Amino acid sequence: MISKFQIAYKSLLRKKVRTLLTVVGITLSSLVLVSLFGFNQGYEKALNHDIDNMGYQIMVMAKGCPYEAATLMLQGGKGLRYMDPGMVRDIAKRPEVQATTPILMQAFFDPNKGESGGIAGYFGVDPSSYPAMKPFLRFRKGSWFVSDTAREVVMGYEAAELEQREVGDMTMVPEKNVPLKVVGILERTGTQDDGTIFVPLKTLQQIAGTDKITTIGIKAKKDADLVRLENELYQLPDVQVVSFSQVKQTIMKLIGTARVMVLSIALIAVFIAMVGVANTVLMSVYERKQEIGILKTMGAMPHDIFVLVWTETLMLCAGGSVVGIMAAMLCNGITDLFIRRLLPYAPSGGLVAIDFRLALYTLGIILVVGLLSGLYPAWQAGRMRPLESIRSE
Amino acid sequence: MADTDITLDARGLSRAYRRGSEEILALDGVTLSIKRGEFVSFMGPSGSGKTTLVNLLGCLDNPSAGELHLAGKKIFGEGKRLSERELTVVRREVFGYIFQNFYLVPSLTVRENVAVPLAFYRKPGAEAEVDRLLKLLGIEHRANHLPREISGGEMQRVAIARALVNRPEILLADEPTGNLDSRRSTEIGEVLQELNRSSGLTIVMVTHDPGLAKLGGRHIEMRDGRAYEG
Amino acid sequence: MRRKPHDTRIGMLLALVPALLLVVLAALPAFGAVGCDLNDADRDVPRLFPGATRYQSIYVSIQKKGGAALQHRIEGRLGERHLALYAPIDVPYTIYEIYSGPKKVGYIHGVNQKGQFGGIQVFIAQDLSGKVKTFYIQKMTGPAAAKMRDPRFAKHFVGVTLKDFDSYDPITGKGTGRLAHVPNPAPEMETDFFGVLRGLKKNLVLMDAFIFSGGNP
Repeated sequence: MISKFQIAYKSLLRKKVRTLLTVVGITLSSLVLVSLFGFNQGYEKALNHDIDNMGYQIMVMAKGCPYEAATLMLQGGKGLRYMDPGMVRDIAKRPEVQATTPILMQAFFDPNKGESGGIAGYFGVDPSSYPAMKPFLRFRKGSWFVSDTAREVVMGYEAAELEQREVGDMTMVPEKNVPLKVVGILERTGTQDDGTIFVPLKTLQQIAGTDKITTIGIKAKKDADLVRLENELYQLPDVQVVSFSQVKQTIMKLIGTARVMVLSIALIAVFIAMVGVANTVLMSVYERKQEIGILKTMGAMPHDIFVLVWTETLMLCAGGSVVGIMAAMLCNGITDLFIRRLLPYAPSGGLVAIDFRLALYTLGIILVVGLLSGLYPAWQAGRMRPLESIRSE
Repeated sequence: MADTDITLDARGLSRAYRRGSEEILALDGVTLSIKRGEFVSFMGPSGSGKTTLVNLLGCLDNPSAGELHLAGKKIFGEGKRLSERELTVVRREVFGYIFQNFYLVPSLTVRENVAVPLAFYRKPGAEAEVDRLLKLLGIEHRANHLPREISGGEMQRVAIARALVNRPEILLADEPTGNLDSRRSTEIGEVLQELNRSSGLTIVMVTHDPGLAKLGGRHIEMRDGRAYEG
Repeated sequence: MRRKPHDTRIGMLLALVPALLLVVLAALPAFGAVGCDLNDADRDVPRLFPGATRYQSIYVSIQKKGGAALQHRIEGRLGERHLALYAPIDVPYTIYEIYSGPKKVGYIHGVNQKGQFGGIQVFIAQDLSGKVKTFYIQKMTGPAAAKMRDPRFAKHFVGVTLKDFDSYDPITGKGTGRLAHVPNPAPEMETDFFGVLRGLKKNLVLMDAFIFSGGNP
């Protein structure tokens, strides 16, 4: 015939605008909350993905500021100080090390870039060891260099786009005016490799007039003790060790502050929405005082009325929350872009990962908090005495 | 005194209210008994205590003193007071109520309004009552209308149907025609009389309207908190 | 008394909605971050468009303006098989709308063009009739770069309109009119010289398609 559920549902429809506004409040707060949870989960995943795509877990570089070094490395910027390539052999001998690769990061000034000139960065890599460390790099066209002294470059996708290069075209190192031939263009990876121009190490050393390197990439053996290896590397003179687990921790620490801030905003939003829910339900209880009194004369027990009002709360919260979570999933891209603008370092790939488990989790939180905020109005309604309610006009 | 025909038995019922420091005695030791199938109407000026008495008889309120027996069972009295829960159980078993301001749920249709009590308590076979009562009270053509779409007389018929859906023994009517014009009042009066006559429903009614009061077989005049058999 | 909590809550909600909308809208223009942008628009706009007090970036793609048919027409007008390397049909072009006070006075727009040793970014500032006000090569690689980026070279293009390309073909380098008389500042770098002229034509054609004739030929 008619259930308590229907009675609750229809009484919400009575004041449509009020119900809608309340639902919108819950929708927005669920949206913020689930996006935030998604970010918590997605950011770390994206960061791990980026770090895995480096191909090596540890970098040794000439001494300098560690933060700067980390940033430079992750953004593919220019190297600052040099170190002796002989160190590569020493490091390669260690039992934990599976492979090493020497790298020279070199920057040249290009006066014909923008109004006041700009920096062009090159990445000198060893054709015999570097490609082996990054087997996941795929070529859109062409391949790696033919020799370690070849006058050739391999370009990341975005670098090729900016320079409008195809395989077979020429490019020129600014400042030194050395022409190099494009032999390979990489597929998009979504990492900083996209913007990198790779040159054979010896070629770059020759152009830059140096026999040094800036960085050594180290790949450890599968079950090697990374911490011990790091500590051993620290003993080497005049170098600093950048381990990606450290980089990750540093970045996560920076992000932590932002996360706390956004979390507090989300909690405030949830709180406001819940005050709204409590208010809406309480008002509708007061407006229906006589009606509730009548229900009681007709045999409704206090707990029936309690359940009735609580069901209304539940409907408001469930409705708003489901819409909000779906909206968050749909607007994932926008949230992603927005967060990217806020962060000091944003890894590539999706930053906001909202999965089914997270959606349920958020729904659960909103429902629990919502039910708590419905507690008082429901209790008020439940304890109304029939005669007093009816006579309250 | 314990006659099985007697359904409601009040002995020395009193009810006092406190207003500020003043104590008002709304009901002053009323003793009366109502038999099964009787149609009793209470009349009297405002403040005479008639509504207070009917509320006590209908177990909507607790008396300050006196006893109330329902089908021989003591509800209120010396050392006995029922909790709100227990009163609810009594009310839903025995009583149906209608009021001056119908109190229909505006967002539910006529049929849903009649069925509302069943969402909380359902005597066996009560579902069938909904359509039977709609038909009996001549409002089946309005079954899918909302309360705002029907007339006042029809609204009170809906309220009556709702009060009867769980087949109560006693119908308590507090000024059932107070909001209706005389033609509709007469109609409602006839409906109540018919229910009393055909199905032996006990009716306890409070009214201002002497015409309506006449329909009842028994007449009680209320004055200053006391009852006088008319 | 009873209405009060209701009103307060609506107030809070109303405050929340625009705040969140703002947040969402603020994130939108980031879609256009690919393509050819000014390195530092705040500084570059007043320099390229004297008298500009304000600018607004808009993002236009061939996909949105007319799809494959428009792409085909544009390529026909340019006589080139590709608009640019790595430029799919939905690549967003950044157009800077230039305002002087409340009035719109013109546009700035740049394109990527292939050069001998790297990409050439050819920017033009145009008035509302489509006439070139300022010509600027933001980026160029190779020995000719300094000469081509010389403001004296850029002066040759002030006042050029798309019409000037009716009598001059930057692919063959043949034709008449004012463009045929522009001297090559680096005669040894023919490819880059014609690259610049092709970039200019592409820029004018795209702006004509996007703005001046609203996507119709």
